[in-house]
Amino acid sequence: MQDYVETLMDKVEAKNPAEPEFHQAVREVAESLVLVFQKHPEYLSARILERMIEPERVIMFRVPWMNDDGDIQVNRGFRIEMNSAIGPYKGGLRFHSSVNLSILKFLAFEQVFKNSLTTLPMGGGKGGSDFNPKRKSDDEVMRFCQSFMTELHRHIGPDTDVPAGDIGVGGREIGFLFGQYKRLANEFTGVLTGKGLNWGGSRIRPEATGYGAVYFAREMLKTRDETFEDKTCLISGSGNVAQYAAEKLLELGAKPITLSDSSGYIHDPDGIDSEKLAFVMELKNVRRGRISEYADQYSGAEYSERDASLDHDPMWAIDADCAFPCATQNEISEADAKAMLGNDVYLVSEGANMPTVAEGVTHFLEAGILYGPGKAANAGGVAVSGLEMAQNSMRYSWQREEIDSRLQIIMSEIHTSCIEAAERFGTPGNYVNGANIAGFLKVADSMLDQGLV
Amino acid sequence: MSAPESQSLQRTARLRSFHELMQERVQRILLVSSAYDSFIMSEEGHLHETLLSQFVELNLGQTPDLVQVTSASEALDLLAADDRFDLVVSSLYAGDANAAEMARRLHQKECRVPVMALAYTGNELREFVESNDTSDLERVFLWQGDVRIFLAMVMYLEDRLNAENDTGARGVPAIIVVEDNPRYYSAFLPAIYTELYRHTHRLLSEDLNISQKMMRMRARPKVLLATTFEEAWETFERYPDQVLGVISDVEYPRGGESDPRAGIELCSRAAAARPDIRLVLQSSDPANRALADEIGASFLLKGSPLLLHQLREILVDRFGFGDFAFRDAGRSVIDRATGLRSLCEKLATVPDESIAYHAQRNHFSNWLKARTEFALAERFRPRTIEEFGGVSGLRAHLLSEVQEYRRERNRTLIVDFDANRFDPEISFTRIGEGSLGGKARGVAFANRVLYTTGIQAEFPDVEIHTPPSVVLATEVFEQFLEYEGLRDYTLSERSDEEIVAHFLEAPFPREAARGLRAFLQRVRYPLAIRSSSLLEDSLSQPFAGVYRTFMLPNNDRELDARWNQLAHAVKRVYASAFTQQAKTYLSMTSFRLEEERMGVMLQALAGRQRGDLFYPDFAGVARSYNFYPEPGQSSEDGVAAVALGLGHTVVGGDPCLRFCPRDPQHIIGHSSVEDALQNSQREFFALDLTRETREQALAGTQRYPLSLAEQEDGPLAWLGATYIPEDHRIVDGIARPGVRLVNFAQVLKHGAFPLAAILDTLLGRCAEGTGGPVEIEFAGNLGTANRKAEFAFLQMRPLALTREFAHVDLDGITAEQTVCRSARVLGNGRIEDIRDLVVVDAMSFERQKSPEVAVHVARFDAQLRNLKRPYALIGVGRWGSADPSLGIPVSWNQIAGARVIVESGFRDLKVAPSQGAHFFQNLTSGNVGYFTVNPDSGEGELDWDWLTGLPAEEVRDSVKRIRLAAPILVLMSGEAGEGAILKPDGAAG
Repeated sequence: MQDYVETLMDKVEAKNPAEPEFHQAVREVAESLVLVFQKHPEYLSARILERMIEPERVIMFRVPWMNDDGDIQVNRGFRIEMNSAIGPYKGGLRFHSSVNLSILKFLAFEQVFKNSLTTLPMGGGKGGSDFNPKRKSDDEVMRFCQSFMTELHRHIGPDTDVPAGDIGVGGREIGFLFGQYKRLANEFTGVLTGKGLNWGGSRIRPEATGYGAVYFAREMLKTRDETFEDKTCLISGSGNVAQYAAEKLLELGAKPITLSDSSGYIHDPDGIDSEKLAFVMELKNVRRGRISEYADQYSGAEYSERDASLDHDPMWAIDADCAFPCATQNEISEADAKAMLGNDVYLVSEGANMPTVAEGVTHFLEAGILYGPGKAANAGGVAVSGLEMAQNSMRYSWQREEIDSRLQIIMSEIHTSCIEAAERFGTPGNYVNGANIAGFLKVADSMLDQGLV
Repeated sequence: MSAPESQSLQRTARLRSFHELMQERVQRILLVSSAYDSFIMSEEGHLHETLLSQFVELNLGQTPDLVQVTSASEALDLLAADDRFDLVVSSLYAGDANAAEMARRLHQKECRVPVMALAYTGNELREFVESNDTSDLERVFLWQGDVRIFLAMVMYLEDRLNAENDTGARGVPAIIVVEDNPRYYSAFLPAIYTELYRHTHRLLSEDLNISQKMMRMRARPKVLLATTFEEAWETFERYPDQVLGVISDVEYPRGGESDPRAGIELCSRAAAARPDIRLVLQSSDPANRALADEIGASFLLKGSPLLLHQLREILVDRFGFGDFAFRDAGRSVIDRATGLRSLCEKLATVPDESIAYHAQRNHFSNWLKARTEFALAERFRPRTIEEFGGVSGLRAHLLSEVQEYRRERNRTLIVDFDANRFDPEISFTRIGEGSLGGKARGVAFANRVLYTTGIQAEFPDVEIHTPPSVVLATEVFEQFLEYEGLRDYTLSERSDEEIVAHFLEAPFPREAARGLRAFLQRVRYPLAIRSSSLLEDSLSQPFAGVYRTFMLPNNDRELDARWNQLAHAVKRVYASAFTQQAKTYLSMTSFRLEEERMGVMLQALAGRQRGDLFYPDFAGVARSYNFYPEPGQSSEDGVAAVALGLGHTVVGGDPCLRFCPRDPQHIIGHSSVEDALQNSQREFFALDLTRETREQALAGTQRYPLSLAEQEDGPLAWLGATYIPEDHRIVDGIARPGVRLVNFAQVLKHGAFPLAAILDTLLGRCAEGTGGPVEIEFAGNLGTANRKAEFAFLQMRPLALTREFAHVDLDGITAEQTVCRSARVLGNGRIEDIRDLVVVDAMSFERQKSPEVAVHVARFDAQLRNLKRPYALIGVGRWGSADPSLGIPVSWNQIAGARVIVESGFRDLKVAPSQGAHFFQNLTSGNVGYFTVNPDSGEGELDWDWLTGLPAEEVRDSVKRIRLAAPILVLMSGEAGEGAILKPDGAAG
């Protein structure tokens, strides 16, 4: 079987030279699917993976624009339409000087499986430009976006390809892009997600990831017939994800006791209640203060400065039941993972992207705790994008409660497909395998159903 | 007639011809300098008038004409056409040629007018002397914030030209000053001349008519400056009997080489030839005091904060410039004579031993001579006790001589002088005599720029002005310090709090208090009470944030209450001249504490009242030169930093808005949502008008959340933006709910106020006026339905920049050779003498300990400064950050000994110096090399491995002090803004 992976990689590298990021992504997926291919050779003979790694379409185009000084600038635009087996291409646009074909293909490839996992009808794609919005004026950004969309518009559509934002493409850029699409297409459709609330955007967007991570954790607890009632929870981070994870945990009866930022963490043994959480939201969202101020405000809480010289973060050694890493990647080291297991933490739900180092993940899996990897647990953000498309298609805007309840259903379905896939391929309770395989199967089976596409 | 008597009569006859003294006069001066350079010297912008007033006081009628040009080529043309100039005074750099070059060209053209160069900073002077042949210059002087340097230059030249006639032929006494360092003679000469002038002035009131007065002025002792042993000795030998004394450095050139005992030798020789001569040795080495004692000389310690004060004391006590002090045989003072009349009285009463003591040492004669009483001095001179058969005979003789002399000239004159001055041309008033101080001078210049360049006409919709100000001139400060030993108290080792407490108890000088109360009767608007010290802002020393500023609501119903607030604030500003911080700051400049004098500016606070708060819509700092231009902008495009509310936000280093006045569409650091959230102002400063007055004076101003600027028609509607978390975007204006930010969009993008255009224009005009880059402070209010928009020009100061970029080649330097390399470097040139490093280790540094780390760094700094060893400071995070989690919170004076500073980013935090902040201002003017590196984002490199491997002399937590066997080499290219620091072996190879 390993021969299969190596042969595949040789071909990929020969055919796509100078695309190291893409090579890496293909290798990781291929290796994680060995389990599947061993059991189901039909995927091999149908050359499903060979088909999946070839984008359905790559669009590269010139984006000329004029800067404020009247100088002419030329950037390169991309749209990788990777896979539309289960729905219109869906994936972000990235404006950053590092953007190139390799990086976008890598991102588009991963997006296929991420979207599939959400159980929503979304294919995979990615796009962007080597344009860097940094140090550009609003006018320049607008002129660039308009020029970019002038070409892109003919390749996308609400039922064809629905781009979203990514690095360098926020609400401002989505607005400029949408405005230009509308002029060119002469129609108001949900061709982009991440729109403003007044013009087709969805509610619950800031909350989605944090809520989703908690809903996913709730599903994991259910497998052991438990609820969040009185569970003490460690939360890292203090941004959107951490704040809304904390909010949802409170709602479900749990007791969050930590939050952190880049300078350190606070530990409040009495629990961070709604009033204290409101203080944190004001502190972080409005005043941009440091989390240490929490400890100044609430005497029961203790603040500890981050110590970069340590190989671990003492916050993860605090006694608790559940952990929600919601800060940044690689924030849980191997030592942290061991400390958590030593403290009988038995649930980890990742709100951030890849917050646990590979060795740490191994320890979690070996210990058999409820470990929800980011690609499943933080799918709430992508899911709400899917819901935005749905609302646009309906020409309707759901209220909070509606979206929230759908988010709960989606997270529960993601959980179910992970569990089932893990079970089916002989690693019950292993959400990592479950997520990888479930995402693949749905796309692969659809492709088989649709003939040689 | 005995022989001595006949000699005496001859002398007397000779000395009757006073009007023949000082025949060589400096009557026309050509000044070669930019408008601002001359403005530095004369705060009202009228150098000629300033000089005039000085000469009027000093020379009684003889005043030189002053002609000013702004470039060397103009000067050369003028001198070629007009031969009536007696002296050329030039800035080091005047337009197209430097002063040395100009002098050389003049001499080549056979034009013999002496050229003196005036440097504005010690660094500038050093650079200039090192890189130019100065042999064609008469002398180089260093400006030290005191216009009297000009008088000293003129008098020095006149004394040199007249010495032969006046001293040689007519017996006018002389003092020889031997000093080869321009910094010291530039301080000494004005001090000595001032003392001579004061002394002579005292005499004038005694008993003279106008013509005698003039003669007395002309017969004042001459000061002859020598810079080598040979020159000094030659001068002495030429006028052996006329030399009152010698004030000599210890080490200076002799036989072409620096001789560490030159001063000792000179004094010993002089004393052998003339036992009654006064000797003063000055040295920077305290150990030389013993040598001075050995040869009976007084001793002055250079670098002592009391240097000029002591010099004055010595002149008074030992050169006979003060009272005559009668001593007993044990040398204790037993009585004093203040003038001729009291000399008469005392001569009759003091004990015999005192008369004998002084007569044997020729003290009477010397004292009289110093008072220009030459005739009487001559009569006294040859007398010994033996000639009179005992002390009583001598006493009778002395008495009769003095009495007779007094009868001859028994007339009186009254001298009156100006009190308050008022100049309606400029929008400020002055209370008291003396200088306005640096800050007020800057305001005066700002005012002149506004009125002379017609900016107002270009912006008809905005009222552009400088706020009305009253300045308490430096003499008020001096008077205040006169009170019961207050000055001595400040020099003792007291805590800042003790000094403040002591100052608050001292009474306010009465005259000034009257003026201020009258001012308060008319003025009820809020006031900013700012320091305006003599040295502040005027030079490359901005003294940014060193002295105190207070804001007063000035709205109490009772005048007395307002007066008390004001007096307290002024006294606190005075006290801030003597804080530890100020003392340390001064110690790193070329100035001494006693040279510093404090003016205080009372300025109407620019702003509007909204509810209980008073603040301007916006305030900020702009510079015509941007040290870190954004891509597409050049350094000359300038940079501005603005904030809503009072300017504390900007100068204190809080987040504020930065933009280039020529490119206002690009807001620096706001291009992504994340950056904008990170870099946006979230709070503003304002003055609370309701707080208890006393408390207010202590607290100054306060921070308030932006939401308060949304109320009461606050300016946030015009300056604000809103972050919408749902859409993760920022929109201009505050129409929508969300998190409030400040982005000045209505002003910068939509022209609600022509801020960028005004700043660009002002910076341009000011840079023109100063002939170099400038920094300005401003505040403003947007227009409303019933009020015109307003721009207040608060302050202007020249920016310290190296004028000449020596070419530094950074090519061919390999990564192995370097400790550090960066393309974000401030500074220029090579530094080759650094062997000490203070390193905050990136690996072991813990953010939570940054306050402790700051203490360790300060301690190492103090150690190295004591040892006079310059060092390189290397560390992580933003140096001088107010927020300990962003960097090490040192204050500027705590790292004053560093010659090079390297700041490296944290893993998760890039560093970028905030250009409006006081820390940065002090840094750039201190001529300190400054390297910014962010290795993790590819901006420069720093070899931590090498640094970590070095053995430390001392370690405190994560701070190491390292002494290297050989010096590192620092290379900085000012043109390219790049630099490298080479390891010792790399430097050798």
